[in-house]
Amino acid sequence: MPAFDTLTQAWTVWDVPAPARGVAVLDETRELNKFLGEVERRAFRMAQVALRDPDDALDVVQDAMLKLARNYASKPSAEWRPLFYRILENGIRDLQRRRTVRKKWMVWLPGVKEDPDNEAQDPLDNVASGAADAPELLMRSEAMEKLEVALRELPARQREAFMLRNFEGLDVADTAKAMGCSEGSVKTHYSRAVHALREQLGEVW
Amino acid sequence: MKEIAEESNPSAGAFETHSREVFSRSVESLDMRVISRLNHARQAALEAAVQRRPWFLQVRVWTPAAGVTAAAVLGVALWMGAAAGHHPPAVADNAATLEDLDIFASSDEGSGDALEMLQNDIDFYDFADTAANAVPVANSGPAA
Repeated sequence: MPAFDTLTQAWTVWDVPAPARGVAVLDETRELNKFLGEVERRAFRMAQVALRDPDDALDVVQDAMLKLARNYASKPSAEWRPLFYRILENGIRDLQRRRTVRKKWMVWLPGVKEDPDNEAQDPLDNVASGAADAPELLMRSEAMEKLEVALRELPARQREAFMLRNFEGLDVADTAKAMGCSEGSVKTHYSRAVHALREQLGEVW
Repeated sequence: MKEIAEESNPSAGAFETHSREVFSRSVESLDMRVISRLNHARQAALEAAVQRRPWFLQVRVWTPAAGVTAAAVLGVALWMGAAAGHHPPAVADNAATLEDLDIFASSDEGSGDALEMLQNDIDFYDFADTAANAVPVANSGPAA
C-alpha cells in the first residue's frame, strides 16, 4: 500500500515519534481496506443483479467505495456497512433512472435505435473460474441465473430488502439505514420479496 | 441470519438458506478480471481516504512545502545581506588591503627584513633629498 509506506517512511526518516493521530489514521485506513475487501465482491454481484451489466456494476461499486472513503471513513467502522450499501443502492437507482430517461429520448429521436448489445450479458460473466466439475458449475450457474431473473422481476425496494438482508446478512435496523426507510417497511418489503420469490422459484428449486 | 429464519416459516427459512448459498457460490466464482478491477477500485478509494485527511497529516504536502520554505529563507537571507552593505566592491577592497599588508610584512630581499633596510639607508635618502634640492641653485649661477 503506497500510502502506508510513504507515511511510515516519513516518520522514520524524521526520527519523530508518530503522534497518536497519525497512528489512528493508519489503523483507520487498514480497517477500511479490510472492510472494502470483505464487501466488494458481494456488492458487485448485487449491483450486477440489479443493473444486468457488469461494467455498470463495477462503476457503481467503485463510486460507492470512493464516496465512503472520502466522506465517511472517519465514522465508526460499525456504521460503514449500512452507509456503504446506502450509497450503492442510491448509485444503482440513479443509473436506472438515467437509463429510463435515455430510453425515452431514444424513442423520440428519429433514426436512432437502441443498441441491442447493451442489454445483452457479457458472455464472460457466465464463465466460472472455479475448479469444480462442469456439470456442477452448470447447475450452479443455472440456479443463480433463475434466481437473478426472479429477483429482477421484483419491485426495486423488495429486491433491495431481500439482497441486503439475505445476501449481505444485515439486520433489520441496518437494512433500514441502508434503504433509508423504517424498520417496519423493511420487514414488509422483505416478507413480500420472499413470498414472491418462492412462488416463482419454489417448484423449480 | 438467525433473525431472518425466525421471522419466516421453516420452508421459507430453507428457501432463504438455499438462495444465500447459491448467491455465495456465484460470488466465489467471479472471474479474475472483475476481481482485479475491484481491487483497483479499492486502492483508489483508500488513496482518496488518505487525501481527504487534514493537510498537516499528509506527507506529500510536507516535502514540497519544506523545499519552498528553505528556498524562501535562503533568498531572504541573501537579500538582507546585500541590503546591509556587504556588496562585492567592499569585499574586493578588503582583499587588496590584506594583499598590501602581506607584501609589506614579508620580504624577498634575502636577509629578509625590508623595514630594517629602510632604517639603515635613511641617511642616504636624506642626502639624496638635499642634493636634489641643491642642484637647481648651483645651476642658476653666472650664465654663459
